[in-house]
Amino acid sequence: MTRNSRLKHFFLAPAVLWVLAFTIYPLLYSLRLAFYQVNIGQTDVFVGFANFARAFNDINAINSAGITLIFVLGGVTIQLILGMLFALLFNRDLPGLGVMRTLMVLPLFATPIAIGFLFFTIFYEEGGLINGLIPWKIPWLSDPNWALFSIMLVDVWQWTPFVFLVILAALQGVPQEYYEAASLETSSLFAKFRFITLPVLQPTIILVLVLRIAEAFKVFDIPFTLTNGGPGAATQVFSMFAYRTSRRFFDFGYGSALAYLLLFAVVIVVSFFFSRIRQAYQ
Amino acid sequence: MTRKRLINIAFIALALLIVLIWFMPFYWAMSLSIRSKAEAFTVTGLAVPYLQYQPTLENWREQLAVPETSRALINSSVIAFSASFLTLVLGTPAAYALARFRYAPKLSIILSFIACMFGSMLAINFGLSWLIAVPVAGILFIILWLIFSKQNGRSLHNEDITLWFLSQRFLPPVATVVPFLLIMSQLKLIDTRLALILVNITFNLPFAIVIMRQAFMDLPVELEEAALVDGATAFQAFTNVALRLAAPAMAATLMIVLAFSWNEFLFALTLGTLKAKTIPVLMAGAVDTRGIQFWFVAVRTLLAIIPPTILALLAQRYIVRGLTFGAVKG
Repeated sequence: MTRNSRLKHFFLAPAVLWVLAFTIYPLLYSLRLAFYQVNIGQTDVFVGFANFARAFNDINAINSAGITLIFVLGGVTIQLILGMLFALLFNRDLPGLGVMRTLMVLPLFATPIAIGFLFFTIFYEEGGLINGLIPWKIPWLSDPNWALFSIMLVDVWQWTPFVFLVILAALQGVPQEYYEAASLETSSLFAKFRFITLPVLQPTIILVLVLRIAEAFKVFDIPFTLTNGGPGAATQVFSMFAYRTSRRFFDFGYGSALAYLLLFAVVIVVSFFFSRIRQAYQ
Repeated sequence: MTRKRLINIAFIALALLIVLIWFMPFYWAMSLSIRSKAEAFTVTGLAVPYLQYQPTLENWREQLAVPETSRALINSSVIAFSASFLTLVLGTPAAYALARFRYAPKLSIILSFIACMFGSMLAINFGLSWLIAVPVAGILFIILWLIFSKQNGRSLHNEDITLWFLSQRFLPPVATVVPFLLIMSQLKLIDTRLALILVNITFNLPFAIVIMRQAFMDLPVELEEAALVDGATAFQAFTNVALRLAAPAMAATLMIVLAFSWNEFLFALTLGTLKAKTIPVLMAGAVDTRGIQFWFVAVRTLLAIIPPTILALLAQRYIVRGLTFGAVKG
């Protein structure tokens, strides 16, 4: 239906104006800040690209970028593999599958701040849940590498169910006839997976990948409570570094430049898949 | 036949194991919250109540008696409910419009709008009074509009507008937190619930628009057309037919947005430090002042997690659709 009426502008305008006022305007504001040296109580000084240049020479910024990249790539890869594996395994007529789907929904909306604290008690080295169950003493939070891995594990716990549920939904949309037809040609399960399941799932996998990567780049809450960026700066993800620069050191100019660099990273990833995403919303 | 049954049992056992592993943190939180303080660190392993320790509700009583906790619960509820309700009020008409009407704004007009807006902001930044800059930019834009509207050029479509809304979801919140802080302090809204309601509407509006548009597109158009033939106005067709049919999707969207608003942390931490403290901020504060107290953490964790988790259960049919912004039907 494509009836046109005056109504259409009244319907759309409030939302557009809202986004202009509360998203686009703040974004431009912070773009402006990124080009200035901001000192509280003094007039701002225009410094051109100096804030951006500073980030590329700042060991802390580079460290945070590396940590974030490892977190995003590692976490999302594990989630994707586990989620897909679960979906493929349990896409069959099983009693209790409905219950499993329901229970896997639970972590999705659990408050990340609270989850961070909860896993602090779970990873706790003396008397925590995991070290109490296994015979080794793993330094989950005190060793820099383990701490980064712990954060990834929490993300995996929270978001693998998302991958699982989405891929399962997509799998159940695959017509059974495809497999029946394929059975005449081959009996290899791998061939069926490679030539039917994977091609049909491909758009869904890419969508999940983009959504997860974009979301993972923004990670803030879980390291904030689980490790508070530590030990040292081993889990100080990029959002956290940008936030601390602005809030703790009141260096709004540099902080905004850092936030923009993060924004660019997300934009690059999303635009790489843009045509695919556009198809999904046609 | 028996072999098939064995395989089935193996699969069920595996599924059970996975569910148990995923459910473990919830169990641990509950177990921790009903242990006495002394037993918080000493009871290890699976920590089965009655076997390894005597459960007590003491932590719950103590925590709920703290006025800070109940105030944070009230703040979080007020903010989440107002924000999600207003998100739907703003977002549903826009979603309906994007699903049913055809928009074709010319790219050239949009670009000239952006140029005029950006130009006027630059001019103000470099010292021109806004009393001059804004009207000049406005007049310039109207002239450009009149010129471009006569010409043929590339137009955007409804999908482009939808994707523009969707793209806001990919924005790292840290990119807008400083300007928000400065703007809110100019408006004297720091540490008010209103500021956090505004923030949460901003974050969730794109989400509501994208998934409600999908919901309206899935409705049969014929019913609205029949209403129009019967003499209903386009507005009545929206309120009396489309809105009613989309009510389940609206309820699901409301629940998902409620959970998102409840969980929002970064802006709540920045804008609501005392009076407008929400549950996540209250939790984050517990660390600095008293060190980590496991028994309190467990109670607060559950207080924070239970409402959004119940919402997730209620909205579970829509969760796949919601979290993929309508691209995958669950």
